[in-house]
Amino acid sequence: MNRLLLILWSLGPMLWQLYTSFRPNAALTGNPLQGGWTLEHYQSLLEGNPPFWRYLLNSGVVGLSSTLLTLVVAVPCAYGLSRLGRKTARSVNVLVAVAAAFPYVLLFLALLQVARDLHLGNNLLALSLPYTGLSLPLAILLLQASFRDIPPELEEAARLEGLGLWQRLRWVLLPLMAPAIASASLLIFLFCWNEYPIALTWLSRADLLTLAPAMARIAGSSVFTVPYGGFAAATVLGSIPLILLVLLFQRQIVSGLTQGAIKG
Amino acid sequence: MAPALLLLLAVFALPMVQYAWLSTQAQTVLTGLEPQPVGLAQWQRLLQDGRFWQDAFQTLRFGLCSVGLELVLGLAVALLLNQPLRGRTLLRTVSLLPWALPTTVMALGWRWIFNDPFGPINLLLAQLGLPTVSFLGDPSITWLSMVWADTWKTTPFVALLLLAGLQTIPADLYEAAALEGANRWQSLRRITLPLLSPYILIAVLFRLAQALGLFDLVQVLTAGGPAGSTESLALYAYINAMRFLDFGYSATLMLAAFLLMLLLSGGAVLLWLLSRPRLAGGQR
Amino acid sequence: MVLSRRLLGVLLAGITLLLMATGVPAATVPVSVLMPASFADASAPLVREFNASHPGIRLEVTRGPLDTESVSDLAISSLLLGSSPYDLLLMDVTWTPKYVAAGWLEPLEGWLGDDAMASIAPGADLGNDFGGHLWRFPMVASMGLLYWRTDLMPAPPRTPTELTQISRELQSKGSVRWGYVWQGRQYEGLSTVFLEMLRGFGGRWIVDGSPTLDSKEAVAATRWLDGLIRQGISPPTVVTMAEPESLQVFAAGQAAFMRNWPYAWSELNRAGSALAGKVGITTMVSEPGQPHAATQGSWGLALTKGSQHKRAAIEALQFLTNQDSQTKLYEDFGYTPTRQAVFRDPQLVAAHPELPELEAALANAVLRPLTPVYAQISDLLYRELSRVFTGRVSPERGMEQLQEQTLQLRRTAGGAI
Repeated sequence: MNRLLLILWSLGPMLWQLYTSFRPNAALTGNPLQGGWTLEHYQSLLEGNPPFWRYLLNSGVVGLSSTLLTLVVAVPCAYGLSRLGRKTARSVNVLVAVAAAFPYVLLFLALLQVARDLHLGNNLLALSLPYTGLSLPLAILLLQASFRDIPPELEEAARLEGLGLWQRLRWVLLPLMAPAIASASLLIFLFCWNEYPIALTWLSRADLLTLAPAMARIAGSSVFTVPYGGFAAATVLGSIPLILLVLLFQRQIVSGLTQGAIKG
Repeated sequence: MAPALLLLLAVFALPMVQYAWLSTQAQTVLTGLEPQPVGLAQWQRLLQDGRFWQDAFQTLRFGLCSVGLELVLGLAVALLLNQPLRGRTLLRTVSLLPWALPTTVMALGWRWIFNDPFGPINLLLAQLGLPTVSFLGDPSITWLSMVWADTWKTTPFVALLLLAGLQTIPADLYEAAALEGANRWQSLRRITLPLLSPYILIAVLFRLAQALGLFDLVQVLTAGGPAGSTESLALYAYINAMRFLDFGYSATLMLAAFLLMLLLSGGAVLLWLLSRPRLAGGQR
Repeated sequence: MVLSRRLLGVLLAGITLLLMATGVPAATVPVSVLMPASFADASAPLVREFNASHPGIRLEVTRGPLDTESVSDLAISSLLLGSSPYDLLLMDVTWTPKYVAAGWLEPLEGWLGDDAMASIAPGADLGNDFGGHLWRFPMVASMGLLYWRTDLMPAPPRTPTELTQISRELQSKGSVRWGYVWQGRQYEGLSTVFLEMLRGFGGRWIVDGSPTLDSKEAVAATRWLDGLIRQGISPPTVVTMAEPESLQVFAAGQAAFMRNWPYAWSELNRAGSALAGKVGITTMVSEPGQPHAATQGSWGLALTKGSQHKRAAIEALQFLTNQDSQTKLYEDFGYTPTRQAVFRDPQLVAAHPELPELEAALANAVLRPLTPVYAQISDLLYRELSRVFTGRVSPERGMEQLQEQTLQLRRTAGGAI
């Protein structure tokens, strides 16, 4: 019973969107028993200018590049912090945790200024820079915790074998970190995929929009009718990649979320 | 390590410094978008701006209500998921889905779900012969609709956090309590809640900070209406910058929101510290 | 004469050949325009035509969002980012002073000549200049109209009282569920609705830089609109309605009157519409002796200061706003022209008898205040009206507060709005 309730609560709104997306507009605002089914909403989204998959692609590009960049910057930092004394690391970590919880929407105006001064607007790869900065805190906390889980003796042994710092990282530590890196990557990717205010101010070209601002832009209604069916189809299409991601990597996402909170 | 920390400083600390400076300037469409020093005039304006106070109140109200609701529901879900049930993994996946979706995507969905009279809830009410509810048109209801949408999205996050906490509680504590004749409610209050309190604190701090940055949801769902009853501080700051081109005041608003967040988080931590000895005392 | 023209042709052809022969590509100049989605869709055939007839220019339209506010946000964010990707912006009438003050636009009179506006119909010529320069050339005119059901009444109401009377009669007879639908959501559209009633009751928004929103006329206008909701003439959901929602109710035959822009006409009269041939348009109701005001909501093209291709952009602007283009936009999409000649085209008038009505309404057009801080004062207005219409505050108290807030804004703005 409880389980059923939970499933209904979680899936209900999505199922309603799914249903709406296959119904003609006339049936949605008229007699709900009439009208049959239609694919027109999906068709018009995919034939739009730019076509809807373009937004998904853009989000994917930004998500991947930001995730990579974040890892490149965060791994050495997390390693360094994990090798610091407990006390120093703790005080740094408090600050990092504050940054992780920071409502980053408050940063948009300053970041807009950065985009303007450095001509970074309307550039998907440049958008990775703020995204990297914003996802760093979480990545550092997660990776640091798992660096600490590796017994120091292991690294010590590798050092005695004559392996340098980078070699140790590459051949000894990183393989052991694979699960943590996977979790962190997924969370960073999710964040970048979903990010809205920065994308809203950094991107103004329609063909570069990522999913979140594209959805908000669709929301401004059409002049003739309110295209509820089209909106619903957009929400369905926009959700599919994430639903797949969650289905495939549920375990890693959950462990990332909880580890981040507990160890940070 | 250094590049990462420098980037962190650049992304998080520098903006606050910049806002502090900008909040002493007038940079508006009337100054041709050039900054002109005005001292503390923006702060004075902020204190007299009824809309700022209204938005601060509304943002806080939203934050406290949604975080409170998420805690209760999240705990219920976490307790459910902590039981050895059939299909637990599936259940966990399903309940995680709302959290993973972009806010703007589902905000658009909620706009349709809350539609009066064509949304599913109102269709149902009409079928039952009840009056429809103006979820997005009544100032005293709309903010609750927003709390609903936010709770739907972020309960999974809170639930997973608390679930992780639950799994650290040794089972023999419950067994011992059961031997002493404690019922489920008592063991929840005496064992679960006290031991879970650090996790609750983390969830509250994190969610409260996020809720104070309420922006995506309100911009797509209501754009601040009706009667300005759902406008958040972040949205007001955004409107000032992007629509009114009043950057000095926008910076002032954002700095004020930041200070408010610090104050509130400090309060939450203090509350936790004060309540800890009492909870620990009640435990044994 | 003929000879010289032929000579010119030969010369041009020769130059072109020469360029092609020497391998220098005939450079095409890219011109990009930002338009709201609906206009972008409607002008797509014109753009194709332009590109076919102007091989040296490649005109490209960026399809912006549908909603005016979002288009403005988009235009502003692209301008704020510095190098704007757009050469031309299709702008709403209220944006001009703000964009000018921000230094984003290029004056047009140097390109179009001082008499550029001579051919523009009365009403459509308003709101294009500011501070002594021409900034915007009107492409599509728009003004608030009262739509009425010709099958339910012999003549449209002319005063507020008549409107409520007819509504009540029709509602009690059961001919329609609602009397009058309009735009009551908290957004710019509400300000345009209110301005019409304000003028219709004899009030003004801003007089010589000072707000007069607590006048008894302003309170009367507010009270009348509020009363529509309280008395059930307008549905309670009118406070969430923008143009599409009100059109939806009206098109379903559920209301006797609707306030909307001219675009709704072609939608209501398209084949398959339940109301085809049963709808009339006129100007908004007003108290006896007061003007039947129509809020002007025209869209015009403006040249951005940062444009790298100003000459080509001007050529595109002239093409998109010429008589031919306007005729096509009107015939195919119902977009009201801005040129006097199109309104007076006898063939067009014969095919579209509503055209003179539109011209008359346009002549009654009233402008929203032309000020760089318009967005702020309108934001104050529609927020406060939304408070009144959702029952948070009485019309009297609401207008009092609004006056106070607008004065406050004037102080912050340095005493001028």
